[in-house]
This record gives sequence, structure tokens and C-alpha cells, in this order.
Amino acid sequence: MNKLIEMENVEKAYKLGETEVHALRGLDLTINKGECVSIVGPSGSGKSTLMHIIGCLDVPSFGSYNLEGRDVGEMNDNELADIRKELIGFVFQDFYLMPDVSAWYNVSLPMIYNRIPPRERKERATQLLDSVGLSQRINHFPNQLSGGERQRVTIARALANNPEIILADEPTGNLDSKTGEGIMQIFNRLHEEGKTIILVTHERYVAERALRKIHLKDGMIEFEE
Amino acid sequence: MDRGFLLESLRSALEAIKTNKLRSLLTTLGIIIGVTTVISVISVITGLKQKIATSFSSLGANVLYIQKYPWVMGGAGVDWWKIRQRKNLGMEEYKALKEYGSSFTYVAPQISNRFDVKHGDKKVDGVSVDGTTEDFPEIMNQQVKLGRFLSTDDIQYRRDVCVLGNDVATTLFPDENPVGKTVRINGRVFTVIGLLEELGELMGQSMDNVAVIPYTTMTKFTGRRRSLTITVLAEDEDEAREEIRWILRRVRRVKEDEEDDFSINSAGALTRQFNQLTRALFIIMVGIAGISLVVGGIGIMNIMLVSVTERTREIGVRKAIGAKSSEILGQFLLESIMICFVGGFIGILLGFSLTKLISLTGNIPFGMPIWAILLGFGFSFIIGVFFGFYPARKAAALNPVEALRYE
Ligand SMILES: Nc1ncnc2c1ncn2[C@@H]1O[C@H](COP(=O)(O)OP(=O)(O)O)[C@@H](O)[C@H]1O
Ligand SMILES: [Mg+2]
Repeated sequence: MNKLIEMENVEKAYKLGETEVHALRGLDLTINKGECVSIVGPSGSGKSTLMHIIGCLDVPSFGSYNLEGRDVGEMNDNELADIRKELIGFVFQDFYLMPDVSAWYNVSLPMIYNRIPPRERKERATQLLDSVGLSQRINHFPNQLSGGERQRVTIARALANNPEIILADEPTGNLDSKTGEGIMQIFNRLHEEGKTIILVTHERYVAERALRKIHLKDGMIEFEE
Repeated sequence: MDRGFLLESLRSALEAIKTNKLRSLLTTLGIIIGVTTVISVISVITGLKQKIATSFSSLGANVLYIQKYPWVMGGAGVDWWKIRQRKNLGMEEYKALKEYGSSFTYVAPQISNRFDVKHGDKKVDGVSVDGTTEDFPEIMNQQVKLGRFLSTDDIQYRRDVCVLGNDVATTLFPDENPVGKTVRINGRVFTVIGLLEELGELMGQSMDNVAVIPYTTMTKFTGRRRSLTITVLAEDEDEAREEIRWILRRVRRVKEDEEDDFSINSAGALTRQFNQLTRALFIIMVGIAGISLVVGGIGIMNIMLVSVTERTREIGVRKAIGAKSSEILGQFLLESIMICFVGGFIGILLGFSLTKLISLTGNIPFGMPIWAILLGFGFSFIIGVFFGFYPARKAAALNPVEALRYE
């Protein structure tokens, strides 16, 4: 199997004044290319922290993390930014869209940082919005869209630079179950198309589509099913 | 820098300015005041210089005007009362200069008046009539076009003869040769002996609305009590100045420890005085502009820090989708520069209007050099970069995770 993510004994500690909060305490995790993994666990168990580290938004305090065989711990800020730009697509629970630009512009934003020419940007953004069922909402602003539609825009944005990995931290957390179902179908389809998908969720039914389910507790892997 | 990124940064900067119009405007007030000051002072000085230069061209180079009063009152230690009590300059001074002067070739007395000049039923109002002597055209660089100029005899015998400027001649004698004809100047009959070459206009005023008569004849109108202007064509201005002082101090019996009781005016001296004034204006301008630009810069820094804090989440998102720290830095630096440019632009417009107003009310030619505009933008740019750097670096250095978690 093609190993994409390899973590060994990863720890993450945050300093809060005098005390240290250990968000992750010795985590071993390997994820292969094309897998769909769901991460579950109680609030505060370190799910988001793990996602941030996988997505190179943060680096481990201890332990090693190899992504596509490269040691992330050795990378500088610019290299991490390049990884995020080319390899990772983030989907956030709160969408985090830019309020003052249209749906297609939001989707094209990662392509701007990736130096994609304007014509191609617009074309690809339109295509991506079409693929998540928003062909009628291309010029809408985020506040003119429903929660489900916003999350679709976020997914389209995550796909902008055709990344290998999609990271979604509670993508359905702010949506009703029917809308959430629709969002999950998109992830399902992306998985079928060969993307590596890692989802954080605590709604049981949503995670059923994943083949692997990792249970996190107190910053450690409790068990996997 | 990539064009797409630049455009996105511009868009984002304009968006930020647009959503906080009033805040941005207030922030740029310092820059507006600074740039307005710079632009209008530079433009007014440029206009004044132009005006002075053209006015001086009619005064002639190397011409000294020896007069009772200085052209410009100014400088430290000027005693107004003393100057007002000066004795008039008269023929005695003129004769002494003519007799003993060696550093200048020509010297002429001059009394000017505005008189009406008539011929038949035609009349020209307010002609500038100069009473002078035969040296006058050499000093003033004037040529006689027709007939002749005043002779020593005309002056000695106080003849009622005149030389007319072009305007007066063409108005009074539209289609005949005026030489030999008579005109009435201030009611007195004069014979026209010559016509002066045309001089044209200076600052919208004709310089040909003139007539020249013997100095001695002029005193028939004015009496002998009016103070003279004595004009001198010097070879070397400084040398002539010294000699004139030496002669006049003796003629007028000025004591050793007393100051001169006359003034030697010239275009050169006036230029020097004007340049001193300009320098003072310039220093004041640099002061005002400097203070307001620094105050403006601190305002910019403050507002950019607020902007960075307000948009912490946005910075986190940008980093999550692949923005490098340097790109975040560039974006906020550009925003700060844009705000400063808005201020600079308003400042340039205000400076333009102010200069226009001053030039209209003060009868100064409008001169706004391109480099003043560039300077305005240059200042804005430097302030934007200098005071925007710290906030932009703060934005760039934000930890992406913490920026995303920011409420
Ligand atoms: N930037 C941070 N600074 C301090 N503590 C943090 C930070 N991020 C996470 N934590 C702490 O780490 C633990 C794990 O958080 P998180 O990964 O967000 O958990 P989950 O997403 O599973 O709810 C929590 O106790 C949280 O308070
Ligand atoms: Mg979380």
C-alpha cells in the first residue's frame, strides 16, 4: 500500500501561561493514499489538533510526521505553506468564507496563491461549483447562501488546487441532518474519485461511510474499527 | 510579484477601505494635511518665481534703481521710522553720480506719473509718463522706432517734446505719422519727436502704454519736491553699488556711523530677497508637512493594527489555503500604502484647489510642477511602507491555528 501519512509518537502541547495543555500525547497513525478515515471522540480529545497537524497548519511538539515521505518537522514556514496549497484542502465547520466576495471568487482564492492564470481560475471555479451542485449560485455572496450551500462552496474551495488530501473538521456540525447527508455524499463521491479523505465527526451516522474509524480520547488513540 | 496576487491584494485593500470609509478618511487626515501643504507651497512658490522672473525681465539686468525707499521692507533691524524720515533724492545726487561715477556707463533721473494723453478728440487714459534724460533708452534697453529720442538740449531748455509708446501712438494716430504732430499731456501741448519700439505684454499688461518727456519738463507738473528715481546701468553690480554708496553718502552728508539714507534697488537684490523668503516658506512647509505626515503615519499604523486584529480569522483562512507569510505581509503593506495613496490623492486635489485659489486671488501664475505631484505620492508611499510595516509583519507572523481559533 502507498503510505501517505505516517505519524510516530506525535505529541502536541500548548502553553497556557505556566501550565501546559497536552492536546496530543503520543499518537501513532498511518493513512494510505485514497483512504477515507473518520476520526471520532469527545470534545477536547484532540481531534482538531490532529487535523491541524495533518494539514501542516501546525507542527508536532514531539514525534515525527512524514507526509508523502517528507519529514514535516524539518520544513520551514514557506514549505509548510506550499504543502497546504498543493496537497491539502481544508473544510471547516464554520465555513470561513470571505464575506465580501462571491462564491466563485472564494473558490478561486487558493488558485491565486497558486499562481493560476485568471481565465483558468474562473473556469475551474465554475466547474468546481458545478460539481457540488451550485451552478446556479456562482455569483452569490456567502450571506445569500444557506448553510449547506456555504459548505459546498467551502468544499469547492478545498478542491481548487486539486489536492491529494481533503481534511474536514466537523463539516456537518452546523447543518441539519438532511443537509449534512448531502455534504457527506459529496465526500463519498470524492473518495470514489480517489481522494484521501479525513473527517472529524461525532454524529455516528455520518461516519458510517468511512472504512476506518479512529477513536480519540485524551489525546491518544483509544481504538480503531 | 504575481499579477493575480497583486490584484487580489488591491481588491482586498480597497474592500477594507470601502467598508470603513469614514475611519480610513479620518486616518488619512494627517497625510491629507501634509500633502496639501507640500503641494500648495511648492506650487505657490513656483508661481511666484515665474511672476518675479517675468516682472524682473522688464527691470533689466544690471540696472540699479537708486531710490528713497527699498522695494521690499524686510529682514531684521529695519527701522521704519528712520526710513520714513529720509531726505528726497534730487538733481544734486543725479549730477554727482553723472560727474564722479566711473563704474557705470549710463545714469538717468526718472519721475513717473500717470497722465491722460490727447490728440484731437482721441484720448488715452492713464498713460505712464516718464520724465527722464537722454541716457534712458540705453539703461532700459529701449529702441526708437521712428524719429529720435530726447536730446541734451531738450532737457536743458525744458522743451515740451515727447516720445510715445506704441499703444499711445496707434490709438491717437491710427493712420498717420505722429512725428511732428502735437499731443496734450495733462493739458499741456507737446510735440511728438519719436516713437518707441514695441515691448509687448508683461503678465497681461501692455508695456507700450507709455510716453517719455524731459525730466526738466516733468518738474513743470510736479514741482521740484518729488523724490527722484535715479537709474544706472552698471557693468558690475557690486562694484557700482559700492561706488554709488560712496558718492551719495558724501553728497547727502551721511555720518560715518550712520546707515545709508537711500536704497539701491535692483532685480538681482530683489531676487535674493525673494529667495530668502522662499527659503523661510520652505522651512515652514517642511515643518508642517513633517509633523502632519508623522502624525498621519502613526494614525495609519494604529488603524492597520486594528485592521489586522479585526481580520485575524481571515488571515488564518488565507494561510490555511496556502498563503505564505510574505504574501500576508505584502497584502497588508499594500493596504496601508493604498490608504496613504487615498490621503495623498485627496491632498493633491486640495493642494491643487488651494493653489488655484491663491493664484486667482493673488494674481500669481498657476504653476503646479509634476514633480510636486510625484512628491505627494512619494510621501504617501513612504509613510505607507514605513508605518504599515509593523502591523503587516504582525499579520504575517500570526500562527495559522491561533488565527483560525480567534473569536
Ligand atoms: N491553541 C491552543 N492553545 C491552548 N490550548 C489549546 C489550543 N488548541 C487546542 N487546545 C486544547 O487542546 C485540547 C484539544 O483541543 P482540540 O484539538 O480542539 O479538541 P477537539 O477538536 O477534539 O474538541 C483542548 O483541551 C483544547 O483546549
Ligand atoms: Mg474540534
